[in-house]
Amino acid sequence: MRIGIVGTGFMGRTHAAAWKNTPATLVGVHTLDPVGKEAFIGDFGSQAFDSLDELIDQVDVVDICTPTYLHMGHVITAARAGKHIICEKPIARTLEQGREMIRICREAGVRLLIAHVVRFFPEYARAKEIVENGDIGQVAVIRLSRCGFKPAANVPDSWFHDPEKSGGMMLDLMIHDFDYARWVSGEVDSVFARSAAGINADAPLDHGFAILRHRNGAITHIEGSWAYPPPLFRTALEIAGSKGLIEHPAGSSNAVEMHLSVKDGVVPSTGLPRSPLILDPYTLEMQHFYRVLTEGVTPRVTAEDGLAALAIALAASESARTGSVIQLGGSH
Amino acid sequence: MSAKLRVGILSFAHLHADGYINNLRMNPLVEFIGFSDDDSARGVEVAHKYGARYFSSHEALIEDRPDAVVVCSENSRHLPLVVMAAHAGIHILCEKPLATTVEDARTMVDICQRAGVVLMTAFPMRFNAPAIEVKRALTDGRVGQIIACTATNQGECPYYHRSWFVDPLLAGGGAMADHIVHAADLLRWYLGSEVTRVYAQSNHILYAREAPEVETGGLVSLDFANGVFATIDCSWSKPPYYPTWGGLMMDVIGGAGVVNLNAFKQMLTVYTASTGRPRWDFWGSDADQWMINEFIAAIIEQRNPTVTGIDGLKAVEIVAAAYRSVASGQPEYVAAG
Repeated sequence: MRIGIVGTGFMGRTHAAAWKNTPATLVGVHTLDPVGKEAFIGDFGSQAFDSLDELIDQVDVVDICTPTYLHMGHVITAARAGKHIICEKPIARTLEQGREMIRICREAGVRLLIAHVVRFFPEYARAKEIVENGDIGQVAVIRLSRCGFKPAANVPDSWFHDPEKSGGMMLDLMIHDFDYARWVSGEVDSVFARSAAGINADAPLDHGFAILRHRNGAITHIEGSWAYPPPLFRTALEIAGSKGLIEHPAGSSNAVEMHLSVKDGVVPSTGLPRSPLILDPYTLEMQHFYRVLTEGVTPRVTAEDGLAALAIALAASESARTGSVIQLGGSH
Repeated sequence: MSAKLRVGILSFAHLHADGYINNLRMNPLVEFIGFSDDDSARGVEVAHKYGARYFSSHEALIEDRPDAVVVCSENSRHLPLVVMAAHAGIHILCEKPLATTVEDARTMVDICQRAGVVLMTAFPMRFNAPAIEVKRALTDGRVGQIIACTATNQGECPYYHRSWFVDPLLAGGGAMADHIVHAADLLRWYLGSEVTRVYAQSNHILYAREAPEVETGGLVSLDFANGVFATIDCSWSKPPYYPTWGGLMMDVIGGAGVVNLNAFKQMLTVYTASTGRPRWDFWGSDADQWMINEFIAAIIEQRNPTVTGIDGLKAVEIVAAAYRSVASGQPEYVAAG
């Protein structure tokens, strides 16, 4: 299976490293960023293609790691060329774009897999399994938290900072947990949210939360932040059920913490506390997608899941802006 | 030094009363005169356990002319005891929530004001050492302007301690009546601002058998007048086999940093064959003791305590708005005045 990656940002590079741990062959990359291109080829080999069509021509699977607002164009180009597609989350910037992408991929007979990587983080996957096993009974209250700093804070014109392009913190960051909550406890009926950016679009730091009501009666609290000081990034998970409780507090999986002494007056950069894994979640994700595309394994996450997560994220953004409760319809 | 303040406890319905006996006895300015309780079997048992005088009626205790009382009855029964004490000119520390309705809470505040007695609400979190440390950091501006707060006051269902906690008439509700007020009061204290709007979702999946009539899970959103927004998770989401009763945590997100408070983190993990599972044993400062000390000091110094009946009323207003929001499915304004 030959892979072509579109985009050489953080996700493009992360996927490239992950593909190296699969039987697939990374054939090449397409990007408009000359610096990113050089670094990518230097680190991962393969070939740089100046034209997207040329790259698509050389591969079986196109892995789209471009900014959110560009997903639709890249997905449609790959689908029309008859190639299977892996696309970063969120599936698209708008529901209309997402629906169009799904329709065109279906017509072209190609797979569209959305890289909701949290489903491949072992602690999240294990918690879902424990719930599925019935170990904690009926799910009642879920708490999910994902707190870090604003991405590309020192890049003045980064697409992350333009809500038209990225959708802002709720679409870019909290969507991980919108997807996870729905994976664990099913469809969401209503969303209420508050956020700094929702109250004031020019807020220098964004922090927000959403309260979801699931159709099965469970309620979920999701917190997201681009307001924590760097290099802090923390996630937390808690699922309370009628017969038990799963807790995974922030910082609890720091299996390695390094404390280095000051040498020659230089304070060493501390580095983030780490939870080392032999196979990181991105590798697990790409290994799974490889098996989906080569062996017909049922995908852990579908394009429809990606669309449903987007619908919740957009509802949360709207609620944070208007202060109203948003009801979600049955189908997206 | 003048004579000690004579202090009694009205009702042993609330389990905090056990601790307050000890706290009152530990205060050198207090003479603990005893307690009253409607349940005579419990009264005799408590009297024996603590070597304390048992008054078979609340009236009998009041007639003994205490200077102050601690009211530990069921939530909806605070009002008659507070009124009785206030009319007798007795100062009052009342368990939280102050009342089960805004009307009751306001009546208590008004009557105590007219009677010229102290009415303090038992909000021990204001005397919790880690919580005070956070208040200092927020006050001196280290965290910058506050953007948002996320609080949890989760616990086990108190049914196994006292069954009235799950009786809607006596408790005023379930997890929301029980667990919103501590975090709400802490937020009001930290932010120096009042809640304007409340949204809440609740359900009845946890402890459904033990608490058949009240909500056991709840998530609450609060908008403050100063623009800060916050959430409180008030769920009874700790199972009965959890290593401790529950806890209170709060993350404060500011423009210059973040503070994570875990108010009951000062715990030893104890593994013992007698329980067969780990137990967390609290070793931090006893907030209840400092709350009792403040109550006594306010009476002696003839001033308002740092936590008043008004604070209790404000918290009750927030709880009432949360119940209205659950009923309407919409955000609800906290009614003014």
